[in-house]
Amino acid sequence: MSLLLEYHNLLLKTLLTERLNSSTPTGIDQIISDFDNVTYHVSTPEKKTQILISISIKCFQDLLQHGAQGVLEREYGPYITETEAGYDFSLLIDLEALPEDPAEREDLVRRVSLLRRNTLAAPFEKAINTHHQLAEAAKSASPESAPQQNESEVMVIRYRDEEAMYIQASHDRVTVIFSTVFREETDRIFGKVFLSEFVDARRRAIQNAPQVLYRNDPPLEIRGLVDEQQQQGQGEIGYVTFVLFPRHLTAQRREENISHIQTFRDYFHYHIKAAKAYMHSRMRRRVADFLKVLNRAKPEVEEGEKKERKTATGRSFRVQA
Amino acid sequence: MSQSLRPYLKCVRSSLTAAMSLSDFASQTAERHNVPEIEAGKSPEVLLNPLTISRNEQERVLIEPSVNSIRVSIKIKQADEIEVILVHKFTRFLTQRAENFFILRRKPVKGYDISFLITNFHTEAMLKHKLVDFIIHFMEEVDKEISEMKLFLNARARFVAEAFLTPFD
Repeated sequence: MSLLLEYHNLLLKTLLTERLNSSTPTGIDQIISDFDNVTYHVSTPEKKTQILISISIKCFQDLLQHGAQGVLEREYGPYITETEAGYDFSLLIDLEALPEDPAEREDLVRRVSLLRRNTLAAPFEKAINTHHQLAEAAKSASPESAPQQNESEVMVIRYRDEEAMYIQASHDRVTVIFSTVFREETDRIFGKVFLSEFVDARRRAIQNAPQVLYRNDPPLEIRGLVDEQQQQGQGEIGYVTFVLFPRHLTAQRREENISHIQTFRDYFHYHIKAAKAYMHSRMRRRVADFLKVLNRAKPEVEEGEKKERKTATGRSFRVQA
Repeated sequence: MSQSLRPYLKCVRSSLTAAMSLSDFASQTAERHNVPEIEAGKSPEVLLNPLTISRNEQERVLIEPSVNSIRVSIKIKQADEIEVILVHKFTRFLTQRAENFFILRRKPVKGYDISFLITNFHTEAMLKHKLVDFIIHFMEEVDKEISEMKLFLNARARFVAEAFLTPFD
């Protein structure tokens, strides 16, 4: 894996590319896992030429409230089919009715492999649209009558059991807050080191990056929402806030940035784990080094002593240890 | 090597060498037993005075000699919570491998991070001055390792953060 995570699901993409380009249809029944407990089921229930792709995503109800249906219809229009039992959303690709153009086919594969990304993108898109509306309203409003309503309600997406995303649009920014839970002390401290670098990166090198904030108590925007949630107190909760400024929300940039910010949690945890793995291999090497030094303390056994000694009659004896 | 580290290690080295004059000594309280007296603590007359060598508030070495065994405990420098966690991980990693380390004690003495227990059987099977060398080497390397790991962690975090934020730029 490279440094940054891919936005699409590699397995889904490989599978579909292979199926769409081969001339002999075969039966498929495969379950594919993705980040954040997302599961895909790829199968050919009726005919080998009809591939059914279903996705199960934890926060689908939350997403539906924020316009997921619209986004999915826009992205997958004609391919949407009746939802498979036990899943949240299904697509059906008929291999006999594929577009002729290879580029179009490739685009189809690409869009399908972005299924998770697109489903999760709905609240972000809604927030960005709201932002643009509010910005317009703020612009047209005269400075004397300051706009009363310049912040939208906070959208909550509970995409994992204990972790959630909070998205709020405002006339001059979109705020995305991730809550993260650290089970272990080590993770908590490593996470803190990483997050403090996220906070500092903007000041140091990348001036145009979104502002990142980190704190252990809920930020003001979501204070009212957090209390009602399950705060069982197991593990440490932290809140990471990303503030996206208008320059991140322009029409050209928004798609890319929506994809990118979605990968934050996975990216962050992936690198904490990678750092731990590196530490481990380092300690292993260091232990081997210490052992070498300790073994130097053992006097070398002389070759002659190792051999069995024999008496004159040919009997052997051993010196008792 | 820093200015205060050299005399500190020198002092530990000479104290250890002096303390490591061990002889075979059968238990006085249990027949046919031969146990490290410093651990058993059953006969106070064979225990010698323990000695603490401190470099500063955070770093110190405790040497507890007795007639047939000595216990050496080391407190490793921990300036912040990253170092605390790194030292904890590292010493745990070592003690889990105590089997291979002959002289490593599975559990550190209270208030210290790692302990060694050297008995007369160790000094008989191994060269005494090399054992002292090992402990000094360990003390030197452990500080270096912890600070390197910490630097690495910070460098990685910085790199990762910049890599993530660059696409937004």
